[in-house]
Amino acid sequence: MRQLFILLLTLITLSVSAQQGTIRGTVIEDESGFEVMFANVLVVETSGGTTTDLDGKFSISLEPGAYSLKISYVGFQELTIEGIEVKAGEVTVLDNIRLLEEGLELEEVVVTASAIRTTEAALMTIKKKSPAMLDGISSSLMKLTGDATAVEAAKRVTGVSIEGGKYVYVRGLGDRYSKTTMNGVDVPGLDPDRNTLQMDIFPTNLISNIVVSKNFTADMPADFTGGLLNIETKDFPDEKIISASISLGYNPAMNFNSDYLTYEGGDTDFLGFDDGTRELPAGADAAVVPTPVSVIQGQFTEQEATDFISSFNPTLGAKKETSLIDFSASLSLANQKKLGGDDADKGTLGYIFSLSYKNDYTFYDDVFYGEYQRLADPGTYELEYANTQPGQIGERNILVGILGGLAYKKAASKYRLTAMRLQNGESRAAQFSIDNNGSAVGQSGYIAKSDNLEYNQRSLTNILLNGTHVLGDSGWEIDWRLSPTLSTSDDPDIRKSAFSISETNIYINAGEGGNPSRIWRSLSELNAVGKVDIAKNYTFKGEDAKLKFGGSYTFKERDYEILSYDIQFFGGSQSFPSGNPDDILTPERIYPTGNIYYQTGNIEPNPNEYNSTVTNTAFYVSNEANLFPNLKTILGVRAENFVQRHTGRDVTYAQGNEDGNNLDDEKVLDALDFFPSVNLIYSLKEDMNIRAAYSRTIARPSFKELSFAQIIDPVSGRIFNGSLFPYSDWGGQLVETRIDNIDLRWELFQERGQIFSVSGFYKSFDKPIELVRIPEAQTSAEFQPRNVGDGQLYGVEVEIRKSLGFLSPSLDNFGVNGNVTFVQSEIDMTDSEYNARKNFERKGETIERTREMAGQAPYVVNAGITYKNLDAGLDAGLFYNVKGETLEVISSGLYPDVYFKPFHSLNFSINKRLGADKNTAIDFKVSNILNNELERVYSSYQAEEQLYSKFTPGISFGLGISHQF
Amino acid sequence: MNFKFLTTLFALSALLVFSACDDDSGSNFDGPTVTAPSLTSVAAGTTGESVTFTVSVDADLTATYAATGEGVTITNASGTVDGTSVTINYDAGATEGAGAITLVVTDSEGQSASGTAVLNITNENTVRVTGNITADETWEAGKCYILAGRITVVDGVTLTIEPGVIVKGEAGTGPNATALLVARGGTLMAEGTADAPIIFTSVADEITPENIVAGEFASPNLDPDINGLWGGLIVLGNATISASNDDGQLSEVQIEGIPTSDTNGLYGGNDDTDNSGVITYISIRHGGSNIGDGNEINGLTLGGVGSGTTIENIEVVANQDDGIEWFGGTVSVKNVVVWNAGDDAIDTDQAWSGTLDNFVVVTPSGSCFELDGPEGTYTARHTIQNGTVVAITDSRTTGGSLIDVDSGSKATPVDMKNIHFVAPLFVTNDDNENVYLTMTEDEVELAAFDNVTFDIAAGDLGNLMEQGGAVPAGISAGGSPAADVSVLSWTWAAQVGGLDGL
Repeated sequence: MRQLFILLLTLITLSVSAQQGTIRGTVIEDESGFEVMFANVLVVETSGGTTTDLDGKFSISLEPGAYSLKISYVGFQELTIEGIEVKAGEVTVLDNIRLLEEGLELEEVVVTASAIRTTEAALMTIKKKSPAMLDGISSSLMKLTGDATAVEAAKRVTGVSIEGGKYVYVRGLGDRYSKTTMNGVDVPGLDPDRNTLQMDIFPTNLISNIVVSKNFTADMPADFTGGLLNIETKDFPDEKIISASISLGYNPAMNFNSDYLTYEGGDTDFLGFDDGTRELPAGADAAVVPTPVSVIQGQFTEQEATDFISSFNPTLGAKKETSLIDFSASLSLANQKKLGGDDADKGTLGYIFSLSYKNDYTFYDDVFYGEYQRLADPGTYELEYANTQPGQIGERNILVGILGGLAYKKAASKYRLTAMRLQNGESRAAQFSIDNNGSAVGQSGYIAKSDNLEYNQRSLTNILLNGTHVLGDSGWEIDWRLSPTLSTSDDPDIRKSAFSISETNIYINAGEGGNPSRIWRSLSELNAVGKVDIAKNYTFKGEDAKLKFGGSYTFKERDYEILSYDIQFFGGSQSFPSGNPDDILTPERIYPTGNIYYQTGNIEPNPNEYNSTVTNTAFYVSNEANLFPNLKTILGVRAENFVQRHTGRDVTYAQGNEDGNNLDDEKVLDALDFFPSVNLIYSLKEDMNIRAAYSRTIARPSFKELSFAQIIDPVSGRIFNGSLFPYSDWGGQLVETRIDNIDLRWELFQERGQIFSVSGFYKSFDKPIELVRIPEAQTSAEFQPRNVGDGQLYGVEVEIRKSLGFLSPSLDNFGVNGNVTFVQSEIDMTDSEYNARKNFERKGETIERTREMAGQAPYVVNAGITYKNLDAGLDAGLFYNVKGETLEVISSGLYPDVYFKPFHSLNFSINKRLGADKNTAIDFKVSNILNNELERVYSSYQAEEQLYSKFTPGISFGLGISHQF
Repeated sequence: MNFKFLTTLFALSALLVFSACDDDSGSNFDGPTVTAPSLTSVAAGTTGESVTFTVSVDADLTATYAATGEGVTITNASGTVDGTSVTINYDAGATEGAGAITLVVTDSEGQSASGTAVLNITNENTVRVTGNITADETWEAGKCYILAGRITVVDGVTLTIEPGVIVKGEAGTGPNATALLVARGGTLMAEGTADAPIIFTSVADEITPENIVAGEFASPNLDPDINGLWGGLIVLGNATISASNDDGQLSEVQIEGIPTSDTNGLYGGNDDTDNSGVITYISIRHGGSNIGDGNEINGLTLGGVGSGTTIENIEVVANQDDGIEWFGGTVSVKNVVVWNAGDDAIDTDQAWSGTLDNFVVVTPSGSCFELDGPEGTYTARHTIQNGTVVAITDSRTTGGSLIDVDSGSKATPVDMKNIHFVAPLFVTNDDNENVYLTMTEDEVELAAFDNVTFDIAAGDLGNLMEQGGAVPAGISAGGSPAADVSVLSWTWAAQVGGLDGL
């Protein structure tokens, strides 16, 4: 990374020749939004000129003054742009120069420079003629909304919802059916519990745009159904950027709160990684560790046991400390330099560099986790609690991002190399009061208090090497990408301690709150993608047509391991009158002076360790042509040969028992699939389309789902079981879900990016995968991903983006945008689920054979009111987002269904630019204005809803300042 | 030009990726590595044994090895490394205890690495059991059997354990916990005798078959309150359970203490006369490893065990979870001692319908009786009779209730007869006040008492009810020990005087 930095510093000093100024621009086709290559650009005043490159871009150096440009290209009307101000040493950017196709009027078109400077309008144009149904958000809109990370920006995109503040999904379809890519290539999800990439790790100032495709075309990966979200990082800056920003965030419930919970971490926590404080003690990963048992057996001495136990960090309790303010800062540098002046043959070099840092505090002072059961008597409707767990959680989240990129462009070729490193550390401390109900099924009955300490550190290192080539006037375009990514996610030293509390005693009881435990989890994933896309532009029946084909090869490998340890007592007292978890590992308590020792929960080989690989080889061909006038037809097919291999074993095998299951690099998925796609776009009018699409897509099980891993959530105690275990009527063979998609859409485009559209969609799911609560397990909350009965859904979506200028010219700066999606979904229950539900059928209730799909929201609403006054440098917006009550956890009979309640998210932001050049911007935002709570509830026939979990995010305020030097 | 530029970009990306991985060592060759196998048990005096180390040597180099042993005689102490493993042949010495073989590999560059394989040299009469019992098998008198994992007697198979056998579980918690599980349809014939009981304990326990022969049934080295060293004995059957289902479609559930991934942990059915074998004169000690919060293994777990099964003369000492827990089923159990349970002593669930007859409970950390009602609509009564309870001794105090029964829709249908709680039943706190142990805070509802006596003054009887409620009929002050301890004289508890005076 240092080498890159030095290189960048060198580049910064290569500034544009001081006395001249520069005009840079992008020329696009008005109708399609595609860049116009090799267009002529003439400076009227000097008669000098240049041509656009493969990105439709040009750059001209001129003496300071006012100029006009004439842009011309065969088949398009000549365009004159007037009033272009060129200042010494500065770059004047004309982002969005639109050429109109030649029509009856052959007069030239004249516009002013200031009229072509909104990129939001450009994005809307791309959508208009794009083969797939696209939605997106550009960097300019992100700036407007003041969004700090991609997750906040993405929720402004039509049909997008956010879960857990990190994950994005489209049209209310769950995470499983969404996909995220970065620069068009797969990047691994960091969370082993998820299929998609978490979005909160991308600062917006690294992002050029976010585009969401809602239907599949053959050039896209086939493993998405709801939406494919692509984050494109910045490549060629149009102007020199040296900018810095600082933001502060304040939430009255979370910042400067003296009740905030934390624990002693390492010296480098503020940089997002652990300095070794939470490292696994030496020798702890051995099959036999020093314990009283192994001491008695002569394998270790008592001193070795003492040393071993003492090598675990003795901090087990959360402590109160006043939280500070949320803080973030970023620095961006970018520029481009023509090598050899205006001589286009020497090419242009561009670079970007960005560094960002963020430190957030979160404190929930009334978190709640609950487990509720139905009673056996069918006439009793109300639910009975099995376990309630109110408490407080304090979190500190650090994010450091570094992005560097170099790009080199000649007239017909472009290369770019970007390297990105993200480092994220989340430290969490929590305290809960546990009330376990002994008369509930499978429960022991006790009162306890627990302290949970966790640390999660994640990193992502991505390199992208990308080349784009245009072969002269032949119409051939080639784009190739190589992108390796290395990512890690580690949870070093997750600690949980619980004390049982009776009237006379505070003690540790394995059968109640459990013995204090520690877990180390580590995940590393390598993801290497190579892909080539080739396009040939040609003319069919006098209209533009395009043939695309290409291929990609993806290799992924994940290593995952969990190591766990429990405190045990070698006889003697288990009382801790102080009730302070930090009094557990005191020297006088440690064996042999005291009775405490650590026992390993790990076997060699470890059943909670696995290695999985995936190879996916894909080829596609797609053709886009107007088969009939006004009917654009895109026909394509993609083939993917997907092979997933797994190395892992179950506990039985790991214990040396040959009856167990063991996989040694064996295929767990192996399929060659063909994914056809048909997209028809019929232009009713210039500004009105009807689209129809059919495609087949796939949803594959994740690495974790196809494993023997058993992963306990230390806070809730809920256990995930990999699908490879056969159990009850589940055979252990989890397979892919294949989905047929049909989409219909009518859309109307108006000037300045206004749009109105109505869509309908239908999807049918063959063997969908859901996370099933195992009915036979009643003493613990056990979940397993399984293929359930076939499902289908249909929905309608209405989208509007409209300026209010039509009501009154005084409202011209106001706009409304929003979309509403309604979805009806249905899934056939398995016999096991039906029977489990039937067993707990209440009096008067009728259990059906079908239900809604888990994770599918019945409706999603996004709405916003925006105000833009570019002259005054003022932007403001009020945004609302809600998702209908969504089934999250499927009932096991005893435990009812869990639903996620609608969270009414209302957010406001305002951004004001100051100074003569508007180089300084101040933004202010308010989040969760309605002060809504995140609630998941148990819902049963005629019963009052009971909480499964509850978080109160509170209202937060943000203030930021940024300056462009 | 383009190609050159590309090459530069590649080089730069390679630099970015690999700059963190610079190898700073002096040699241009990778040093060798040695990975030792995990702990291996070998019987003392056995010959022709071997251990295999995994080694790696730089492909361009050759290497030699040298092995040294402790407690063993090595037959191939040096040689050249060929391939990726080195197998060392040895004869185990005659002395029991820890042994070791250390392997040093030195490559032609002079770089070396070593690894040590730890050996557990066991008595020649020690047998390590690693696999499920899938064919009829007998564990022979005079031997010690080590449970290396969760060993299951599967459906249709009989495991016979002869009198005087010692079964020891290896240490571990979570997935690493060891236990003996008799699955539904499996049979355990563990017929000890008063002179030669069968002991289930931990590998840390130095008790030997010779001790048994000599009539010394107490652990020579472990205190009777050390728990959680291994799992326990779990017996599962096909008898009726009342598990939160209405019409019997969910007639089976997973037993506490066995992870859901193992279907051998399912129990329950509709064969009330099901026979899981004969279990007599067994002492289960120091067990109860947990596999998750609130999910431990009881000393003796009886899940859906049928009335055809014989279970008599059982001792459970220092189990981290409950002493004996019944989950439904119809089996009756008699002549029992539960001593120093880490949680409850006697725990019943899911409408167990058998009888517990003649027993002694001494100082559990949880409740003496944790008696739960049915979890489904099926219900049945169980009987607990002829027992003596010692709730408080000089060294330990019952942590939970004396009797805890459920009320409401899950009220416990239980008959308790002829049970005596010996004095004292209160502790004196710092303020010099007497704090009484109490019965359940709830209404007793379906529980019926007959001659259940507490050795306290009649005027203090009211203190037994936690919320000051009325003392139920059949409960009185006074009384005397009700269990016949003469048949329990074989137990560890009796041998160290724990049952004296009862």
